Amino acid sequence: MTTEETARTTRPETARRSPEEPARHTAETAPRLAWAQHAPEVYKAMLRLDTAARKGLDPRLLELVKIRASQLNHCAFCLDMHSKDALAAGESVERIIQLGAWEESRHFYTEQEVAALALTDAVTVLTDGFVPDEVYDHAAKHFEEAELAQLIAAITVINAWNRFGVTCRMVPGHYEAGKHE
Amino acid sequence: MSRTDVLDPEVARALSALSAAAKRGLGDPALAEFVVVRASQLNHCAFCLDMHLTIARELGVSAQQLDLLAAWEEAEGVFDERERAALALTEAVTVLTDGRVPDEVYERAAKHFDDRELAHLIGLVVAINNWNRVMVGRRIPPGGYQP
Repeated sequence: MTTEETARTTRPETARRSPEEPARHTAETAPRLAWAQHAPEVYKAMLRLDTAARKGLDPRLLELVKIRASQLNHCAFCLDMHSKDALAAGESVERIIQLGAWEESRHFYTEQEVAALALTDAVTVLTDGFVPDEVYDHAAKHFEEAELAQLIAAITVINAWNRFGVTCRMVPGHYEAGKHE
Repeated sequence: MSRTDVLDPEVARALSALSAAAKRGLGDPALAEFVVVRASQLNHCAFCLDMHLTIARELGVSAQQLDLLAAWEEAEGVFDERERAALALTEAVTVLTDGRVPDEVYERAAKHFDDRELAHLIGLVVAINNWNRVMVGRRIPPGGYQP
């Protein structure tokens, strides 16, 4: 153990600072890969897909769906972006926080939003099985056919961004609301 | 019968453009089919499996490789190191809900693919995951693909 490590072990960061001092966070790491630069045609197709999939969907609902899928896929970059966009669009802090446990806090959301969130969970976690009939049928009760197809497309697209974000370890914290539009 | 056949034409075109760009950039059609079939197995997409197993056979991929793809880790001598690295990455990028893409998996792929190839390989895993979601979500039956 080095001297520095000993000092850290015996005098932890939290013990040293006064309550007024902000805690020192761990260091930010660089992303793994600048994928959009290395695959510009892929990036262009992603932007085109994103634009096409959001057409006809309520922007407020779309942000809820994007945040929920990003939670399931553990995409820090996407959570940073979409929680900021949702807040900027007037979404409430509590509805954003409760998304992590939406099944227990249905009364924060409309019936249509609950149906969309259940579909988001099912379409995101395909590896556990299929999209159950009850989930699809519930969504089909609240969205007309074309809108439902767009919702599935939108869930697909945030899953796609999540995969790039997590795999390339894109760094959260620098996004400013509205910047991606 | 499918749940719905509706898919916005521009969404479909963008999905196709994404797949095509990723495949072109990877530049290895047989490897691309391994990746696509493996992701479709994990996501249980019947339509995609039917389509891409057909394409793989057309490309001349061996029956043994296709049969053993679901157990590639145990199938010693059937896939080379580059293919194995790509398949490990495919699984990690597909099953995000269990955790992040581990460093060892990412670095193993980075040893066999340069940055440009790697970006396209990741793009391809994303692209097939897209199709898997769009097809499973709407329950599009297998057999619709015509070579």
